[in-house]
Amino acid sequence: MSIFGFKQSNKSQDQDKKIALLLTDLTSLEDYINDLFSFSPLPICFISPLGVILETNPAFESASGFPGEEIIGESIEKIFIKEEISNITKETLKEGFVAGKELSLLKKDGNNLVVRVFTRTRTDENLKPIGYFLGLFDLSNIKKTEEELKRVQKALLNILEDTEEARRKAEEEKDKTQAIITNFADGLLFFDKNHNLAIINPKAENFFKTDKEKIIGKTLKELINVSNFGKLIGFLGPEIKDIFRKELIITKDFIIEVSAISMKKDEIDLGNLVVLHDVSREKTIEKLKTEFVSLAAHQLRTPLSAVKWSLRMVLDGDMGKINKEQKEIMEKTYQSNERMIALVNDLLNVARIEEGKYAISPTFIDMVKFCQSTVDSIADGFKKKGIKFKFIKSSNKPIMVFVDEEKLELVIQNLLDNALKYTNKPGEVVLSLKETPKTVTVEVKDSGIGITKGDQARIFSKFFRASEAILIEPGGSGLGLYMAKNIINSHNGKIGFESQSGQGSTFYFTIKKQK
Amino acid sequence: MKKILIVEDEEIMLNLLEKKLKTHGYKVFSARDGELGLSFLREQDSPDLILMDLIMPKLDGFSVMAEIQKDDRLKKIPLIVISNSGQPVELNKIKELGAIDWLVKTEFDPQELLEKIKKQLGE
Repeated sequence: MSIFGFKQSNKSQDQDKKIALLLTDLTSLEDYINDLFSFSPLPICFISPLGVILETNPAFESASGFPGEEIIGESIEKIFIKEEISNITKETLKEGFVAGKELSLLKKDGNNLVVRVFTRTRTDENLKPIGYFLGLFDLSNIKKTEEELKRVQKALLNILEDTEEARRKAEEEKDKTQAIITNFADGLLFFDKNHNLAIINPKAENFFKTDKEKIIGKTLKELINVSNFGKLIGFLGPEIKDIFRKELIITKDFIIEVSAISMKKDEIDLGNLVVLHDVSREKTIEKLKTEFVSLAAHQLRTPLSAVKWSLRMVLDGDMGKINKEQKEIMEKTYQSNERMIALVNDLLNVARIEEGKYAISPTFIDMVKFCQSTVDSIADGFKKKGIKFKFIKSSNKPIMVFVDEEKLELVIQNLLDNALKYTNKPGEVVLSLKETPKTVTVEVKDSGIGITKGDQARIFSKFFRASEAILIEPGGSGLGLYMAKNIINSHNGKIGFESQSGQGSTFYFTIKKQK
Repeated sequence: MKKILIVEDEEIMLNLLEKKLKTHGYKVFSARDGELGLSFLREQDSPDLILMDLIMPKLDGFSVMAEIQKDDRLKKIPLIVISNSGQPVELNKIKELGAIDWLVKTEFDPQELLEKIKKQLGE
C-alpha cells in the first residue's frame, strides 16, 4: 500500500496509511482541479513571472483560436498588445491581482476580441510569485450590445433633438403667425372647411364691435344674425366665393374692402381666408369730392334754369312783343346757355362715374320692374323723336338681382340714351330682358348709325367719341359707356356690344341672378 | 278757373311760372318753402294741381310729399315735381311718394311744362 514502495514500521505504517490517504486526497483534488480547469467556460491560462504561457484551458484555446501546443511556452505578448499586457504583469506581481482590466485579445484569425482580464498571482511557500493566473471575460457580445445601445441611444437623442428642434420651430412659426395675425393692419377672418369661423383677429373684432368669444366656432347661418357681422356674411355668400377687393358698406361711415381667398393644400380644402381693409377714409374723401361736385352742379343748374326759362318766355312772347334784332340776340344767348347746361350735366356725370367706380351699395331688386321704371322715364324721348320703342320681357315673373340701383339705372339710361341719340327716324329701339338659369342679360338693340370697325376697340374708353357720333351729337362728353363699363364691372358683370357701321348696334350687359 | 299751387323757393322761377300760368288762364297760388306749401294745402281748399320743387328751405319736397300721402284729401291732388336735381334714384323715390310726373328744369322749358299741365288737367 505504498506509493513510494518501501517498507515501514508499524508506527510508520500508520503514518504511511495517513500519507497514503492524504496522497489519494491530493490526487483526487488534482484531478478535480484539472477537471474544473478544463470544464470552466471562462478562458484561463497560467503565466510565468517572465510572461511565458505555461498552461491554458480549452476555453482559452477556443477564445484565442490557438491550440494549446501553439501557445504554451510562447510569450503572452503573442496574444495581447505588448504594452497593455506588460502593465498587467507588472501590476499583478506587485499587487497580487488585477480585477477586470479591458484588453484586446489578438486572435489567431487576426481579429481582435475585447476582453476583461482578471489575474491572481501564485506563490511558493516563501510567498515568492511563481506566476499568475489570467482569466478572460469575453466582452464582445456585451460590447456589441453596448455599441448597439449607444447607437440606439444616439439615434434616439438625435430624434429627440430633431423633434425638439421641430417643435421649437413650429412654436416659433406659430408665435410668428399669431403675432402677424394679431397685429395685422387689416381685419382677418378664417373660416374652416365647414365654413365655421375659426379665427378672427383683434382688428376685425374692432371692425364689427364684437367679441371673439361670442362668434368663434359659429356657422355662417348663425353669424348672419350678428348685427354688423351679418352684412359681411351676406356679402360673402353661402359658399364664400373668392372675392378680390370688393367694397362693402357696413355703416354710412364705415366702408371696407373685402377679399376672400379659398385656401387649399395639395387639393385639400383648408378653408377660406377673408381680408378686410378699411377704406372709410378714402371713401369719405371720395364722397366729399362727389358731394362737392354734385352740389356745385346743382347750384350751377339753378341760375342756368332761371336764365333758360326767362329767355324762353321772352322769346315765346310771354313778356310782350320783341323786335327781330332783340329776338336774334336772345336766341343766341339761349343757345349759349344750353351749352352751359350740357357742360354742367357732364360734370354731374363725371361725379357719378367716380362714384360708380368705387362705392357700390347693393340691394335686392326685381330687374323687370326696374327696367320698366327706367323705360317709363325715357319713353317720352322716343315718342318725341318719332322712333319706335319696344320693351320685351321674357315673362312678368320677377328676376331678382343684387345691384346698386342708382348705378345700374345710369347704365340702362345711358344705353337707351345712346340708342335714342344715334338712331334716326323711322328707326326702332328694342330693350329686352333675357334669362339663363343663373344670369340675366339686358339688351338694347337699335337700328341706328352703328360703330365703324376702327372705333369699336375704343368704344368703352374714357372721353372717347366715335367719329360718326361726333357729327350727330357734337356736345357729348364721351363718358357714358366708360361709366357703364365701370359700373357693370363693379357688379362682376359683363358688358359688350355688336355693331356694324350703318346697320345699328346692340349693347348688352349680363349680371348674376339671386335666388 | 283751375287752381294751381306752386311751391318754389327760387323767386325768379316762381315769378316766371306765375306769369306763364296766369297768362294761360289759371288761378295761381304760391308758397316760398315746403312748410308754407303744406299749411296752404291743409288750410285752404284743394287746388287742382301742385307744382313743387324738391330742394327748399324749412321742409324739402320729399317731406311735403310724405305728409301729403298721409292725408286722404291731399293725396288725390296730382303733383308734378320740378327740380334742378336729376338723380335717377330720386325719380323712384318721388314716384313712391305719389308724384305723377317729374321735370328737370334745365331740360324743360315753360311751354313744355304748360302742355304737361294741360294734359294732366284734361284740357
